[in-house]
Amino acid sequence: MEPKKTIINYTHRQAGHCESGTTSNLLNFYGHKLSEPMAFGIGNGLFFSYIPFLQVQFAPMITFRNFPNVVFHRSAKYLGIDATVVKKIKDPKEAMDALDRNLEKGIPTGMQVGVFNLTFFPPEYRMYYNMHNLVCYGKEGNLYHISDTVLEDTQVISYDDLLRVRYAKGAFAPNGKMYWINSVPKELDIRAGVISGIKKTVYEMIKIPFPLVGVRGLRWMARDLKKWPRKHGYDKAAFYLGQIIRMNEDVGTGGAGFRFIYGAFLKEAGELFNHAELLETSEMMGKTSNQWREFSYLGARNCKSRSKPVEDYNMLGDMLLKIASMEESVYKKLDKIKI
Amino acid sequence: MHQEEKQNSEQTEEGLLYTYNRELFYHFDKEKGFSREIDYQVPANQTIIRQSWDAAEQRLDEVRSLIRAGKRSPIAYYMEKTLMEIPILADYMEMGKWRIRRHMKPKGFKKLKPEILEKYASIFGISVDALKNPEL
Repeated sequence: MEPKKTIINYTHRQAGHCESGTTSNLLNFYGHKLSEPMAFGIGNGLFFSYIPFLQVQFAPMITFRNFPNVVFHRSAKYLGIDATVVKKIKDPKEAMDALDRNLEKGIPTGMQVGVFNLTFFPPEYRMYYNMHNLVCYGKEGNLYHISDTVLEDTQVISYDDLLRVRYAKGAFAPNGKMYWINSVPKELDIRAGVISGIKKTVYEMIKIPFPLVGVRGLRWMARDLKKWPRKHGYDKAAFYLGQIIRMNEDVGTGGAGFRFIYGAFLKEAGELFNHAELLETSEMMGKTSNQWREFSYLGARNCKSRSKPVEDYNMLGDMLLKIASMEESVYKKLDKIKI
Repeated sequence: MHQEEKQNSEQTEEGLLYTYNRELFYHFDKEKGFSREIDYQVPANQTIIRQSWDAAEQRLDEVRSLIRAGKRSPIAYYMEKTLMEIPILADYMEMGKWRIRRHMKPKGFKKLKPEILEKYASIFGISVDALKNPEL
């Protein structure tokens, strides 16, 4: 007997960040050309938080992105799209059945997964990291067809492997979380989405009255960075510094990359509404992200060379403080703009 | 895990370690504006990825010497080998963290019931025999 085959005609496109890429691809499937930066900006994927007392992978918790599923959820909310997010499914078999039912109805379904057991993922990234997103768009016998925006091509994964990654354990465990779009209105109100998206991002970056998130968190981290070599010794300081760069550049989903994507979003929005001030902020954001890339480069060089004078850490800390002020000026400007 | 990773990576002249997959990167230039480009990770980032694998290797070495000194049980070894931490392993085992810590000591490991050993073995993806006699 031929194995049962259901494959949805879904276009896979590579993206800088897993979740905004997934959101953009899903919307594309429903006939709306929303680019990745737009999805990222409207769903406010941009974030910063530094939590020194929480250890993740043996270093302080640093994040440059928002919590998992925020991008999809918020862009659906701000654009008025009818979407379903199932946060938690207790029974793994039920979770897989729900996926099968969706595929039979012809709905490509997004899922949150852990990357450690993800068979097709680049081996160098396979650590315990649970905030990855991918879309399943087809089933062929025992194999599921997957579109993962980190990879160049589409992939297949077996039932057991998919079940294992959907129930990976650890921080931010996916618990079988899945999401899909039910229906999309004919005309998307992009302007309203952009306004809400920018407002929320500005709030999260400069207005939350807590010192460890947003620009204030960035400054806190910069000050801590200067202390690390004296406090923890050179080896540990180098590992912590590496963690900043790992979080900001790789783990497969882009990082300072995030600032680039946000800048691209501001530019696209500026061009769409013909708004000079937005274009100006996009240029400022671009300069900031180039500074981030420079920071990554210098930091990586610092980690590589075994002699690590304290001055280097001071210099990197000062650089971070400068980046923080640059970012702050972007958000302050965005706060005042009327779109 | 580690062997698989080494097979897929190769040392080239430019110092590119990981050439498994090309990713999409955004760039910004004052004249040209924003652009997208598909490429491998730049060498500086690859150094940083390498650093975390080196750290994992180092932790594994420390556990090896502790086991030889009779201070840790094989569970500690396989936990490090599969890159887990105590909270993650506790989640998988559906047990308290304090029990995992106890099993990580030789004294606690000896008292383990067969069904718990089997559960550990299935999580690490090995047989019970291999769990009892690890090849360090």
